[in-house]
Amino acid sequence: MSIPLSDFMLFMPEVFVLCMTCAILVLEAFFGQRRPQLSYVLAQLTLLAAALISAGTLDTGRTLALGGMFVHDPMAALLKTSIFLVVVGAFAYARSYLTEQGALRGEYYVLGLFAVLGMQVMVSAHSLLTIYLGLELLSLSLYAMVAFDRDSGSASEAAMKYFVLGALASGMLLYGMSMIYGATGSLDITRIAAVIGGAQDKDTILVFGLCFIVVGLAFKFGAVPFHMWVPDVYHGAPTAVTLFIGSAPKIAAFAMAMRLLTEALGGLSVDWQGMLAILSVLSLAIGNVIAIAQTNMKRMLAYSTISHVGFLLLGILSGTAQGYSAAMFYAITYALMAIGGFGIIILLSRAGYEADRLDDFKGLNDRSPWFALMMLILMFSMAGVPPTVGFYAKLSVLQAVINVDMLWLALVAVFFSIIGAFYYIRVVKLMYFDTPETDEPLAISPDLQIAVSLNGLIVLGLGLFPGGLLALCNSVLA
Amino acid sequence: MIDYPILSLLIWLPIAGGAVLLAMDALGNKACRETALVISIVTFALSISLYTYFDTSTATMQFQENIPWIAAFSANYHLGVDGISMPLIILTTFTTVLVVLAGWQVIRDKTAQYLAAFLVMEGLMNGVFAALDAVLFYVFWEAMLIPMFLIIGVWGGPRRVYATIKFFLYTFLGSVFMLVALIYMYLKSGSFSILDFHLLPLGLTEQTLIFLAFLLAFAVKVPMWPVHTWLPDAHVEAPTGGSVILAAIMLKIGGYGFLRFSLPITPDASHALDWLIILMSLVAVVYIGFVALVQSDMKKLIAYSSIAHMGFVTLGIFLVFTLLDNSGSVEGAALGMEGGMVQMISHGFISGALFLCVGVLYDRVHSREISAYGGVVNTMPVFAAFMVLFAMANSGLPGTSGFVGEFMVILASFKANFWFALLAATTLILGAAYSLWMVKRVVFGDIANDNVRQLEDINGREFFILASLALVVLLFGLWPAPLVEVMHASVDNLLLHLSVSKLPHPETGVALLQAVRP
Amino acid sequence: MNGITMKMIYLAIPLAPLLGAIFAGLVGRHIGRVGAHTVTILGVATSCVLSFLVLKQFAIDGAEPWNGTVYTWMVSEGVRFEVGFLIDKLTALMMAVVTFVSLMVHIYTIGYMHDDPGYQRFFSYIALFTFSMLMLVMSNNFLQLFFGWEAVGLVSYLLIGFWYTRPSAIYANLKAFLVNRVGDFGFLLGIAAIYMAFNSMDYATVFAAAPAQQGVMFQVIPGVDWSLMSVICILLFIGAMGKSAQVPLHVWLPDSMEGPTPISALIHAATMVTAGIFMVARMSPLFELSETALVFVMVIGAITALFMGFLGIVQNDIKRVVAYSTLSQLGYMTVALGVSAYAAGIFHLMTHAFFKALLFLGAGSVIIAMHHDQDIRNMGGLRKYMPITWITSLVGSLALIGTPFFSGFYSKDTIIEAVRHSHLPGAGLVYLAVLAGVFITALYSFRMYFLVFHGEPRMDAHTREHLHETPWVVTGPLIMLAIPSVLAGYLIDPVVFGDWFQGVIHVAANHDVLTEIGEHYHGPVSFVLHAFGGPAVYLAIAGVLTAWYVYMKNPQIADNIRQRFNGLYQLLVNKYYADDFNEAVFAGGARGIGQLLWRVGDVLLIDGLFVNGSARVVGWTAGIVRRIQTGHLYTYAFSMIIGLLLMLFWFVFRATGAAA
Repeated sequence: MSIPLSDFMLFMPEVFVLCMTCAILVLEAFFGQRRPQLSYVLAQLTLLAAALISAGTLDTGRTLALGGMFVHDPMAALLKTSIFLVVVGAFAYARSYLTEQGALRGEYYVLGLFAVLGMQVMVSAHSLLTIYLGLELLSLSLYAMVAFDRDSGSASEAAMKYFVLGALASGMLLYGMSMIYGATGSLDITRIAAVIGGAQDKDTILVFGLCFIVVGLAFKFGAVPFHMWVPDVYHGAPTAVTLFIGSAPKIAAFAMAMRLLTEALGGLSVDWQGMLAILSVLSLAIGNVIAIAQTNMKRMLAYSTISHVGFLLLGILSGTAQGYSAAMFYAITYALMAIGGFGIIILLSRAGYEADRLDDFKGLNDRSPWFALMMLILMFSMAGVPPTVGFYAKLSVLQAVINVDMLWLALVAVFFSIIGAFYYIRVVKLMYFDTPETDEPLAISPDLQIAVSLNGLIVLGLGLFPGGLLALCNSVLA
Repeated sequence: MIDYPILSLLIWLPIAGGAVLLAMDALGNKACRETALVISIVTFALSISLYTYFDTSTATMQFQENIPWIAAFSANYHLGVDGISMPLIILTTFTTVLVVLAGWQVIRDKTAQYLAAFLVMEGLMNGVFAALDAVLFYVFWEAMLIPMFLIIGVWGGPRRVYATIKFFLYTFLGSVFMLVALIYMYLKSGSFSILDFHLLPLGLTEQTLIFLAFLLAFAVKVPMWPVHTWLPDAHVEAPTGGSVILAAIMLKIGGYGFLRFSLPITPDASHALDWLIILMSLVAVVYIGFVALVQSDMKKLIAYSSIAHMGFVTLGIFLVFTLLDNSGSVEGAALGMEGGMVQMISHGFISGALFLCVGVLYDRVHSREISAYGGVVNTMPVFAAFMVLFAMANSGLPGTSGFVGEFMVILASFKANFWFALLAATTLILGAAYSLWMVKRVVFGDIANDNVRQLEDINGREFFILASLALVVLLFGLWPAPLVEVMHASVDNLLLHLSVSKLPHPETGVALLQAVRP
Repeated sequence: MNGITMKMIYLAIPLAPLLGAIFAGLVGRHIGRVGAHTVTILGVATSCVLSFLVLKQFAIDGAEPWNGTVYTWMVSEGVRFEVGFLIDKLTALMMAVVTFVSLMVHIYTIGYMHDDPGYQRFFSYIALFTFSMLMLVMSNNFLQLFFGWEAVGLVSYLLIGFWYTRPSAIYANLKAFLVNRVGDFGFLLGIAAIYMAFNSMDYATVFAAAPAQQGVMFQVIPGVDWSLMSVICILLFIGAMGKSAQVPLHVWLPDSMEGPTPISALIHAATMVTAGIFMVARMSPLFELSETALVFVMVIGAITALFMGFLGIVQNDIKRVVAYSTLSQLGYMTVALGVSAYAAGIFHLMTHAFFKALLFLGAGSVIIAMHHDQDIRNMGGLRKYMPITWITSLVGSLALIGTPFFSGFYSKDTIIEAVRHSHLPGAGLVYLAVLAGVFITALYSFRMYFLVFHGEPRMDAHTREHLHETPWVVTGPLIMLAIPSVLAGYLIDPVVFGDWFQGVIHVAANHDVLTEIGEHYHGPVSFVLHAFGGPAVYLAIAGVLTAWYVYMKNPQIADNIRQRFNGLYQLLVNKYYADDFNEAVFAGGARGIGQLLWRVGDVLLIDGLFVNGSARVVGWTAGIVRRIQTGHLYTYAFSMIIGLLLMLFWFVFRATGAAA
């Protein structure tokens, strides 16, 4: 049973994050020079507080607000909470990176917080318009973050590409939305669903619009063939930013997919299932295969992201609550693994040196057994080898897919995950079997150590006891 | 009865021990070695009580533990052993003690990690044998790859990278399709309990697909021809301890899988496709026998002989259906199946012993090439005696455990089909040929070179390892009864289960049911 | 005595030597040479005394056969696999022979191996052998039979390779083991067939149920019916062919002479090689059910008897001459089995055990004196230097060629008679073969005898100075063995024509040649007189004379013959090229197949094509596909547009097109 809350209470987290972000912006402007860590601390506190707030609303039922533009439901609560926590991690990693790279400027956190706000809006959107607003807020912040190291040529190039392609994708999405609006005469998700559900034979214009919407989604996810930006942006952007882009936004994208495809256009599931099937198979194949040929860690992880997106889409396209929760579990746990993976790169990086070549991982076990072990856990988790959480993510997705008699998709998925396993264990091989290229000791700030260790142990712990999170994902979609 | 969760102890004590060792790295190798030894011995001692408290009269799972684990998959932390798995657990704990000892002086680099890897392996392998829940089983089954991957890769030979990646991907390839099969059955039965799977009614097509998925997984592990080529490479590159664990236990997991999954879950598919397994097994015995003959690397030779010997395991296990077709009864099948299981245990001891022997030589001369030796007996008489004994056991000499399994399987296969027995019996000649030819070239003859001249005979530690293995090999060779009798109940139960078709028209099944001994 | 004590005695008989072996083997280094030979000889002596006690109980006290279980090896499906003893007159006889010869050899070894570094090891081995052989003969079931069967093989392997630094020795022992394994291959299949047919490993059960199986057919090749009993018996006999070195599995025995001489006497003459003979006799209830098998046995035996004899003529190594004569004599025993004269076969086994052990030990004594030179061309005139060896060897040779009143005569002549009376198809030819064999035997035996003990000494001066009779530990056993070599023949009364094997060996009425002969048998002496009516004796004498004439009177004849029939000579010297054939075809073939399967099957196809091949394909694809990531913005945009258009085409136009 749900207690009636006032509208304000419903989007409390959003308001809170917004106010805090503005506050930090101002404070940074004034005290940024004297108190370099100030905005970091405040940002983290903000996120933690926001996480607490939205976690507190986990068991409140589904409620609309702001004239139906905004929805609060358990899914939103869970996704927001996880976004906040993942970003906490991301910031923790980012801080020591920024310190080392001598680029300690509060903008990062401010932009990050705006991006978070955008994600929150996406997660809680109940109207095509809201979705679009959230998406743009997120994207614009990300563009800026990518370009944020203004002296780096590759970063600027990446930002440029990201911006142009992003604009293209947004355009397509908007176009698709307008089609839907034209066909259903509404922007409200519930009403769109009702119209489509009520119609006897589905309007071609709807499918036409759906295509554009799916393209927009696919771009956000980075699904093949709309993935081209991913490797370049991941590679070009400063690692701290890559880590940000690579983690939380995937959760937001999942939310967006849920709102658009399942809630609004559920009536067209037959069509978007087909589309997602193609996208996911392509992503699994291209992502895994090209990753093998990479020599740069960030690029490799970029392609691995693409392949993971393929898996995630499998969950969504199964079109069952089970499948959605599987996909949600996948998105959340993947974000965890992603920040961990990039976190280790940060951990290896030194002032003025991005340790993002695969060779930088050579002999990590000799330099630091503990962090080698953490990376090992993360890699096997990405490969989907138990006892790590990555296994259960794949397990639940496969189960959902097989459950709707799409055995062939499951087989394709596992087949490519075998190929995928190769480049993950290659990293392990580099860390454990090879001798280090440099013998200079790792200088790691304590909070980074804690962050990485926590991250690895959570991935392992969730691998031993995944029940809780799985149950949570199931319950919020029940 | 035991009133504490012994199986959990057998799984988690070594794993926890492994974690402790990693933490102890700073305390130096000696401390780590001793801790590891103590842990492994304690685990072994614990596992003995499995045997002493084991109730041979029943086929039901014993020492069961069952607590909810993952509600979302209704997967439980469900452990238990029967006559099929219990001996394998004891084999595991026993071998681990020897392996820890075997690395005593040799492993100086990253000793703590080395020992930790083995203890973790031990726990995981015990888990595989004890798990009664498919997810739990799969978790242990897959997790096992990680320490073995590291053991071969970190402490292995020059071509270790190729070997490890081949090993990992081969086995991974096998297991992912099994995972799909397990999920499929979960969706049919609503639970991941292996025992529920046994009772799950399945159509022949379903069964066949599931059987093939399992076959891929288990055939790679066993390994059966033609998916065996990872084994020689892995063995050659692995450190001695790795080879021992690999040969003594990991291979058995394949055979165990057939008994625990393939046969009871898909009896009719097994029935329909048993010819395939038998064919692969016989090819393994003959083809691999010839291949082993021409190996110039001792470890490769023993690796190939392992494949050939494991052929007896699969052969013995899958004879049941031919007997069913011949006589309409599964009479004689128990002999074959128990023979296969005895072969698993005995091969664990013998192949382990042989790899340890090679290790003894390798530690001294740093070569595995047969041609690098000759006349070892002149300088290492005691060692030579052991080597000859184990080579004889490897060629199935009566009085050693190597004979028992092969004898039982050959007897049973003659009942099934003359040609099965004929081809299987070629191991008498081939096995003796490759084992003793190696002995001739390595052990006997005049001192071949200075390396051999400077050899020192085995020290007390090595003597203890080899002697304890020799004792077990002779004990089970002269008196296999204690080993075989713990299997009866479970095997009979399995045969009873197999004689009943899962198909909608079980009238044939009923007839068979009556034919089976009560 | 009551059952319990008997069981204790029966247990003690094999265990005493085993304990000796273990003791000498494990702590031999600490107890020293004397300690080692004391414990082992004590052990063997104990079991020898007890064996004779058992024999006496059967011979005089008329004890009943004892069939009991020692312990249960394993139970599967209610079928009991046990270790147990069946003690009857056959067993008792074998036990007595085995332990007696073994004891003699033990004592003899003290002298022969006197300054060998592996002294203790040697005693441990031969004691272990005695144990294994006793387990074999005392067994009451097929499992234990196979155990003993393989165990004696193992010890023989260890002993042939005793001097492990000699390449020839370790070649010979591997060869011996593998050839024996070929036999065991058949033997094990035979046991498996018995398990299939009778569901039991126990002699008594099997023999009782056997007659019922006579008519049963068995399809080895689908569609072709063979008599089950024939299949079983022939498979079992293949085992015997390996152990008892019957053609074509004889090749290992001559090479086994690489082992120390006491071994050649004990294992490769007196006991182990006769295991096959014993086994077939033990299985008489089965073999009697299959005429096919009997004919097979008889023919193989005849071939061995004759053609191995020929080889004896051209050998110059003193031990190899005796070895080939052993082969030939084993042929005789096998023939006896073939014509169902099991008693005669066993009887010959016994006499042969004595005189052949004697001959070997005599040869060994000569070898000691000759400082381990074994070439008879370097000997001659030794009788002056070593009288005891000379006399005893003469006795042995006379017994071997079947001189009347010597043991060999009785046993061999019975066999020849038996063949004459046999009604088996092919018995006629076999009769001729065994007769010819008599001449050959006499020829090679006395060729050796003359060349060694008579004529001019041909050894170098140094050796000659040091020539002297060997110590008592060597000559003692010679004398001890010479006695039964002469007298054992008089046991023909009870053993062959008496009721000794009543109820132990089963002979079908229509095969029972011995009773036929027995009808006009009136004691040993008349047997001799009767023999002079037949050709055998004359052939033997002819053989001796030829040997004397060719090798003593004018030796150049030998050379002339050699030149004249060089082709034949080469054939014999090369042992019918059997070894070369095996080496080329089987050994070489196996290695060839191995290389082929490995290089082509494993390395090229499975690994090269599938495993690494697929890996390479993936890597190559990756290399290609990554190129789509050009880094150019327009390609990226382009791919998005294309993707969109394809999706539109697929889901909108095509779908609606299909709908319309």
